[in-house]
Amino acid sequence: MRLLLIEDEPKVANFVSRGLTAERFAVDVARDGNTGLEFSRSYEYDLIILDLMLPIIDGSEVLRAIRSRNTDVPILILSARGALEDKVHHFEAGADDYLTKPFSFAELVVRVKALLRRGPITRSSTVRIADLELDRLSQRVKRAGRRLELTSKEYSLLEYLMTNPGRVFSRNMIIEHVWDQSFDGLTNIVDVYVRHLRSKVDDGHTRKLILTVRGVGYSIDNAAEP
Amino acid sequence: MNVHALRFRISVWHAFLLAGALTLNGILTYTIVRHYLIKGLSISVEYHARTIGEKLLANYAARGEEYLNNELSERYAAEIYPRFIRVTRKDGRVLYQSTSPADLGFNPALLSVPKGPFTGGYLRTETFPNGHHLQIYTLPFTGPDGSWYLIESGRTFDTADQVLRRLLWALAVGLPTLVGVSLLGGNLFMKQALKPLEDIERYAERISSTTQSEPMPIPESGDEVERLARSLNRMLARLDETFQRSNRFSADVSHELRTPLTILRGELEEAVRRQGVPELLDSVASALEETDRLQMIVDHLLEISRLDERKGLRERVRLDLGDMARTTTEQMRLLAEVKSVEVRYVVSEGVEVEGDPLYLKQAIVNLVDNAIKYAPMGGWVEVRVASGDHIGILEISDNGPGIPSEALPFLFDRFYRADRARSRDTGGVGLGLAIVKAICSAHAAEIKVFSQEPHGSRFRTEFPLAGTKSDLRSIHNRAR
Repeated sequence: MRLLLIEDEPKVANFVSRGLTAERFAVDVARDGNTGLEFSRSYEYDLIILDLMLPIIDGSEVLRAIRSRNTDVPILILSARGALEDKVHHFEAGADDYLTKPFSFAELVVRVKALLRRGPITRSSTVRIADLELDRLSQRVKRAGRRLELTSKEYSLLEYLMTNPGRVFSRNMIIEHVWDQSFDGLTNIVDVYVRHLRSKVDDGHTRKLILTVRGVGYSIDNAAEP
Repeated sequence: MNVHALRFRISVWHAFLLAGALTLNGILTYTIVRHYLIKGLSISVEYHARTIGEKLLANYAARGEEYLNNELSERYAAEIYPRFIRVTRKDGRVLYQSTSPADLGFNPALLSVPKGPFTGGYLRTETFPNGHHLQIYTLPFTGPDGSWYLIESGRTFDTADQVLRRLLWALAVGLPTLVGVSLLGGNLFMKQALKPLEDIERYAERISSTTQSEPMPIPESGDEVERLARSLNRMLARLDETFQRSNRFSADVSHELRTPLTILRGELEEAVRRQGVPELLDSVASALEETDRLQMIVDHLLEISRLDERKGLRERVRLDLGDMARTTTEQMRLLAEVKSVEVRYVVSEGVEVEGDPLYLKQAIVNLVDNAIKYAPMGGWVEVRVASGDHIGILEISDNGPGIPSEALPFLFDRFYRADRARSRDTGGVGLGLAIVKAICSAHAAEIKVFSQEPHGSRFRTEFPLAGTKSDLRSIHNRAR
């Protein structure tokens, strides 16, 4: 998979490309809008990550120019402007996703992968990790064959974590997905709900499935069975 | 500022001063008139006494008693002039005495002849039992033939008294009338003159409770009020500019901080991913947590700036305040449960307001979160939604320790913390209530806090009811 990163801030470009390379993506970096546009014309990219504040040609211009030639490539916008009008405006201009700085790298990866998976998403109704089983249709969760009684928020939380096993979800990602933006800034709400969920899922089992990555967030362990 | 009070005060002062000046003027007028009346009377009686002496008594010896009587009766008929004339000879015999005047004001017979010794003419006042006064000039007169007479010429004060009484009446009636008329006129005039001030007052109230910043209308009166309005406008423009600049600054700073924060975060996260030395990992994780806090501060500051710039509201929809308060609070139920805090709802149905749902929700989240934080273990939090006079009321109360009264005025300031040590533990960044305030302002809502240590706190927000959003004045009237 080949990605194009159009970002003028060297350090941001640096860690994003390093991180994505570590995720086994091939990453090209363009430092201004003009170069980015040229790159996008020269290669077939699987995905373009576009910063909005660019020298020479503004990110919005680049977005429009790319879209006018290539309607397929997924484009993810990075921006320091978080206002909703901005987002709507760029979605209308053809962006597929929008990430506000400062973003967590974990979130970037989740979104990139989601965009690459696009198309008809065939989601099986049952997700299984180790002996934990979640049925999306009946909204039932079983651990080692025994049914777990979860509240609706706990269920949403677990379902979200299980969409991408092994991936770390930041508190903000969880809040925006399970609650909504209004609960931003209330990060301890995630901790409290995860603690409860964990006691229901992991208590009495030697293998702990819900992991805390300190400073980053939470994930579901998908390591192979020991 | 209450213009009515000012008008009343000016009117009362004006009336006081006017009444005082008029009274003083009345007293002066009365005194002077009285003085001149008495003086005129005195001069008149003396003149007549001397005339009688020089014109009549000089001829008395030659012409006889008959002549004197006739002349005096003719000149000074008491029936015509209420005068008193008496001429007495040295041996005490009365040569002439005027009769009672037509109005029988006094009886001359009651006056005894003064006893000597006489050194010259003098004035005296006689009072009759019926209250009449008489000013009398007594003149010892020696005729050309050496014979000695005592001439008394008197006149009642009646005319003078009457003049003075009329003057007093005129003053007593005129003074209050004058004061009244001038009070009424002054009040009307002042109402006219103060109307621009009232306009300014109304305007000032409007801008202080909403976020509008259009300049106030200038009354073209060319007086102090116009100058006041102009300088107020200049001040407002400067304030607005300063406000916008500081807002802009805060927005710019937040904005500029985002890129370095992104880098910091990215690098730290990568360090965590590499799984290095455990001690180092701990430091990196701690740094990441602080990055989170920084990010939150930056986000919230930007949010407040955007709201304050009056372009914050993304949309305005009609929504049920009670529903929203209940569902939002329900989503935080676990936060209350872990502290065994009971959440009570006292929610009226159908309280509809207009607003941006995400922001309104955020305000509720922050208030409820705050209440749960401060409620004690096993305590309670109450969510109350009701409608009042054109307003929708949302109240969040807790039975926590309350807020120190000295902290109340600053509670909604950015980064203000009533209890620093404690809120750091609970992870706040000191912007939650500032955001709530900004959200309320953007919705033309008022927020108040009632708290008394140690009896908990009550945060009350008042939103214009949906459909009455243009009718903001009713809220102001109520608040006044």
